[in-house]
Amino acid sequence: MAQAATVEPETGFQPTGDELLVIEDVKKHFPITRGIIFQKEIASVKAVDGVSFSIKPGETLGIVGESGCGKSTLARCIIRLLDATAGKIWFEGRDITKLSRANMRPVRREMTMIFQDPYASLNPRKRVGFIIAEPLEIHRLGTEKEVKTRVQELLEVVGLNPEHYNRFPHEFSGGQRQRIGVARALAVNPKLIVCDEPVSALDVSVQAQILNLLKDLQDDFGLTYVFIAHDLNVVRHISDRIMVMYLGKVAEVANRNQLYGQPKHPYTGALLSAVPIADPELGRARQAIVLEGDVPSPVNPPSGCNFHPRCPRFHEGHCDVEDPPLYPFGDGHVAACHYPLESWPMTADEMRQMSPSPTGPNNGT
Amino acid sequence: MALLEVKDLRTYFHTDDGVVKAVDGVEFSVEKGKTLGIVGESGSGKSVTNLTIMGLNPRRNTVTSGQALWKGQDLLTMKPAQLRDIRGSEISMIFQDPMTSLNPVHTIGKQLVEAILIHRDVSKRVARARALDLLKAVGIPRAETRIDDYPHQFSGGMRQRVMIAMALINDPDLLIADEPTTALDVTTQAQILSLMKRLQDDFGSAIIMVTHDLGVIAEIADDVVVMYAAEIVEHADVYDLFNRPQHPYTWGLMGSLPRLDADVERLTQIPGQPPSMLRPPSGCRFHPRCPYVMEICKTKNPELLPTQRDPGHLQACHLDEDTKDREAAKLKATMAEAT
Repeated sequence: MAQAATVEPETGFQPTGDELLVIEDVKKHFPITRGIIFQKEIASVKAVDGVSFSIKPGETLGIVGESGCGKSTLARCIIRLLDATAGKIWFEGRDITKLSRANMRPVRREMTMIFQDPYASLNPRKRVGFIIAEPLEIHRLGTEKEVKTRVQELLEVVGLNPEHYNRFPHEFSGGQRQRIGVARALAVNPKLIVCDEPVSALDVSVQAQILNLLKDLQDDFGLTYVFIAHDLNVVRHISDRIMVMYLGKVAEVANRNQLYGQPKHPYTGALLSAVPIADPELGRARQAIVLEGDVPSPVNPPSGCNFHPRCPRFHEGHCDVEDPPLYPFGDGHVAACHYPLESWPMTADEMRQMSPSPTGPNNGT
Repeated sequence: MALLEVKDLRTYFHTDDGVVKAVDGVEFSVEKGKTLGIVGESGSGKSVTNLTIMGLNPRRNTVTSGQALWKGQDLLTMKPAQLRDIRGSEISMIFQDPMTSLNPVHTIGKQLVEAILIHRDVSKRVARARALDLLKAVGIPRAETRIDDYPHQFSGGMRQRVMIAMALINDPDLLIADEPTTALDVTTQAQILSLMKRLQDDFGSAIIMVTHDLGVIAEIADDVVVMYAAEIVEHADVYDLFNRPQHPYTWGLMGSLPRLDADVERLTQIPGQPPSMLRPPSGCRFHPRCPYVMEICKTKNPELLPTQRDPGHLQACHLDEDTKDREAAKLKATMAEAT
């Protein structure tokens, strides 16, 4: 852990050396080019713009944010499906940011991914047995017979019938396909699984099955999850710690009870109050912070704090000038806001004081 | 008299594999200025119900029976020309996907004006002014310039606002919204839902809100219909439904929902998958997934009947009422305890 000890990310944590994964100031910018032969870079989409966090073995870190906030890009950078533009990624104390393909291969056994769309992430022409066995064959784990036994064992672990070894993906329903995706991610006995919106394409009753399965597997195999979702209810249910992202940056990181109990960033507050509550009495009684406008374009993010054009606590001359660092609130709770929320839920009076800025929202198109 | 009264609605699709009973004996009514929520999982028939009412199913290989009385007139037997007059003016619809339900090669202004000119005898200038008013009403910033933009120049939430403007442009008496917020982020969803509530207050339209999200139902509906496998399994006032749900499927739906305001270690899951409507299960269609299944459930499909306590609360389940009240109370208690 020699390298990791030198890291001092801005998130307020000090690496203690037992983190499974440390991400330091990772950026991913996609260039926008013009010209056919001589391509000139005219701008870039700052999909991820300086994100740092760490995760301990056996922990689940939830990442939430609206579409376009860079959470999926971040996931792809973590397991190096995309190469980060800047920043460092440490896995088990080893810098994997610049590893070659060949050197990366053994690391890939330790970290796998479950994708969002169970319809698009399985090859329709391959049998389920082959799909799950493929990672085992790539890493040359066992003879043909051992692989087959392992695949059938995996099918059973995720709650599918081992007899269905020879079926094609189209013969399964959405929930069952997602189970196949889970089995494939588990095949090589990884330490870390990055789940990119694993339940958002599923019906609620089936979603509960997959969430319970992921929790059981974590207990049985000591897995570590990075769990990405836009559904705050789902993230709360499964995560130990949660990171809220906005426009490629970290808005707030806190453990589950702090984040849902005392959010500090106004964006977190707005997200929480926007979630419909499945109880007509509670839901209709509460005050909601309704955000105006849309998420601005990551090509030209707003100056200063990137949330300031939509923020109900906007202070002119401060928020639009100075980019807030992550202020600590104790116990690893950090939030990037100059004027954090003092109480939660907010009273009607506080809500009224927070009138939106007269300049109006920036509705980027 | 109810604005819309649906009686014993059945829609069967004849396919190469057999007959798919997509809607099988659905009954409900919608009152003026009220919101009816229809909740169910994919394939439960909630969208087909509305497409049938609007006469938008493909005519080939589709058999429809029953009645959908719109102000006393049956929409299902109406002549196409007459139905076209009602559709888009008296009843209008918002679809789930704002990305694909606008025409990409015309400006939104042109599409809005077209919707007016089809139903009203006004000049183009009047129509355009009306279109502009509506765009402002649904909260599109800089509407004067944006009216000449194409759909791809709008974000998802803004496009859904344009769809709502188009649906409201002829002051409909009934607005059918089919999963209007499913494709959107929570913050945008909150904007659209509060917009719909406000517009309902201003324009007094009735709304049929189709969704799979019990949270959205709890926020916006007055009356709720729960559908499972092409049938209604429960129909109640929204407060009643959440306080005293009477059907095991509704309990399953509520228990399987991870909640922001509650800490539950393990979600109750409904085992298995929704059935194929080519070969629906015998008896009660929920029986293969029901934890309370009895012998009678396997052979006899329960009728949708009022509960003894409340004639307005309809449910289709063979369980006795005491057991149901006990289970509903238990569910409510676990929710309250976790909160």
